[in-house]
Amino acid sequence: MDNDEQFFGRWVPSSRPPLEPLANREAIEQSRGSAQCTRCGHRLTVADQLPNGALYCRQCLQLGRLTTHHKLYTIPEPNQFPMMTESPLTWSGQLKPQQVVAATAIRELVATKRNQLLWAVTGAGKTEILYPALAWALQQGWRVAWASPRVDVCLELAPRLARAFAGVPQAVLHGKQEHSYTYRQLTICTTHQLLRFQAAFDWLIVDEVDAFPLTTSPMLQRAVKQAQKPSGSHIFLTATPGPHLQKLVAQRKIAVTYVPLRYHGYLLPQMKVHLCWQWRQRLLKGQLPGQLVRQLREYQRTGQRFLLFVPHIADLPPIAAALDQAGVVGGVTVHAADAERAEKVQAMRDGRCQFLVTTTILERGVTFPNVAVVILGGDDAVFSTAALVQIAGRAGRHAAHPRGEVTCYCQSQSRTIQQARAMINHLNRQGRQQGGQ
Amino acid sequence: MPLCVWCNRAISQTVTLTQLLSWGQFPVQEVCEACQERLTRITGSCCPQCGRQQRAATICHDCERWHDGVVNRALFQYDAGFKAYMQQYKFQGDYALRVVVQAALAQALQRTTYDVLVPVPVDAATRQDRGFNQVTGWLTGQPFFQVLEVVADHKERPQSAKTRAERLVTPQPFSLAPNACKLLHQRRVLLLDDVYTTGRTIRHAIDQINLSGAKAVTSLTLAR
Ligand SMILES: [Zn+2]
Ligand SMILES: [Zn+2]
Ligand SMILES: [Zn+2]
Repeated sequence: MDNDEQFFGRWVPSSRPPLEPLANREAIEQSRGSAQCTRCGHRLTVADQLPNGALYCRQCLQLGRLTTHHKLYTIPEPNQFPMMTESPLTWSGQLKPQQVVAATAIRELVATKRNQLLWAVTGAGKTEILYPALAWALQQGWRVAWASPRVDVCLELAPRLARAFAGVPQAVLHGKQEHSYTYRQLTICTTHQLLRFQAAFDWLIVDEVDAFPLTTSPMLQRAVKQAQKPSGSHIFLTATPGPHLQKLVAQRKIAVTYVPLRYHGYLLPQMKVHLCWQWRQRLLKGQLPGQLVRQLREYQRTGQRFLLFVPHIADLPPIAAALDQAGVVGGVTVHAADAERAEKVQAMRDGRCQFLVTTTILERGVTFPNVAVVILGGDDAVFSTAALVQIAGRAGRHAAHPRGEVTCYCQSQSRTIQQARAMINHLNRQGRQQGGQ
Repeated sequence: MPLCVWCNRAISQTVTLTQLLSWGQFPVQEVCEACQERLTRITGSCCPQCGRQQRAATICHDCERWHDGVVNRALFQYDAGFKAYMQQYKFQGDYALRVVVQAALAQALQRTTYDVLVPVPVDAATRQDRGFNQVTGWLTGQPFFQVLEVVADHKERPQSAKTRAERLVTPQPFSLAPNACKLLHQRRVLLLDDVYTTGRTIRHAIDQINLSGAKAVTSLTLAR
């Protein structure tokens, strides 16, 4: 076969058998009236039938449609990567003392092949904390994947890892790319892309496990299990583990490394809560809560830049108009589907923009130096506990401006707000033990 | 709660008072409102030839070149939203998405006067790969006759891979089925296709239908 490499540790679909006989399985497994996708585990129903009689899987459609006419072919992962005599780490940065403690713990755990969890607050520098362990794994000739639920996080991560491990060829895989698959020792991919792999990785790094309900989504759980070698292990990265992970930690089923302080050694800012009655109804009349307006005007007067989080895309235009009316100017609105999103975020990064009014989409991965954070409608169902803690972690993310202010305006103190405040307190308690301030 | 067939999010169904008082079955909503809004209906005035949305009711710039009296109507604007829809429905082959436009099409067909509905065909290899014809997939029981066939050696490159100039000179890709003349003689034919872009494909189809002895031919596309 011309390109054996594409089959190494992967299931590759074809409706025509390849020239050489390879291990294969049906893409959709049918038995006694039931049908299941063997790639993502989705159970098919008669509603998934095409006019030509074939059944197709809708759940993993974005990876290319699988039907009952397809077979999946594979070649067992041969691990064609040599041991290295020297560490492949070319990063010249320095870890802070508390990062060194965590990095060493992870590096020791990875050698024991135990599954582990890195519970690190937003801004702890978790990527760099993993460098020593990743360097060690690559040096052993291990095949490693770093998976994140979001394409933009993958795109930001890939060049960082390319610089930190300059001699290690990497493959970047996500749904929006044009170029074809390449077999590399280090794979950076979206969590969904893991579904294509079969016993491929000696070590699997799964970033932002709380971003998508990985622990509750059978499909993504299956993806991790399937992509990891039986002899391999994984590490989950999170700032706010959900109940399921917390339980695994409590039961000692997963080893945990804890980084409660941000990389500059400061505690997370606690969220101040202001109740404001019926802000939404008042917004219909073009008004924002008086206290919010006063706070934002004060920010403007002192040159303090800020992020204003709001629940829904539909809230953006009226809020922008009301801010303009109140004389709070120099900012823009941005949301996930915004065509100019990248430029607006860049403008904020460069300091050309005074503030962003945004929906939850910027809660992860995006960093701005020295910003205050304001949440309007923090009790809305779109803001989960994890999201609120992440949003709070956006404030003051810079060594020169470690303390940010976080203010939450809401109609009532919801459970999610109370839990977020409790989690920040909990993390800060851990942080104080490690000398945080 | 039902899930939206397109975005997979839960649909919060709004039940009107009339529905509530009627004690009948509520129509089950399959597409959420946000997804419905991703497609833009063509309303108000349009080009009298190709049916594209425009302010003026005069023939558009593209149609001036043809000036052949072809009459096409379209339901949706061929914008980013419709392209995203076609990407998933036609190119990724998500047959379930056919429901997204079915109601709009059924309504349009009901309001159009015609005797015979003729879908623009898909060549056999593509239909086999895709598993369905994207045009007839949109129909919900309306009778049609597949009297056009794709000439066997026509498909060397997909239409979407060609430049506009190339598409305008493509040779006739369709032929009439043996029973076509019998079925279409002196009938008013409505051609149905997915997207009107250059207008070349639909004109090839019209040329063939005209050979069958049909009384009149008009066309309807989902998008322009
Ligand atoms: Zn599947
Ligand atoms: Zn939807
Ligand atoms: Zn026109």
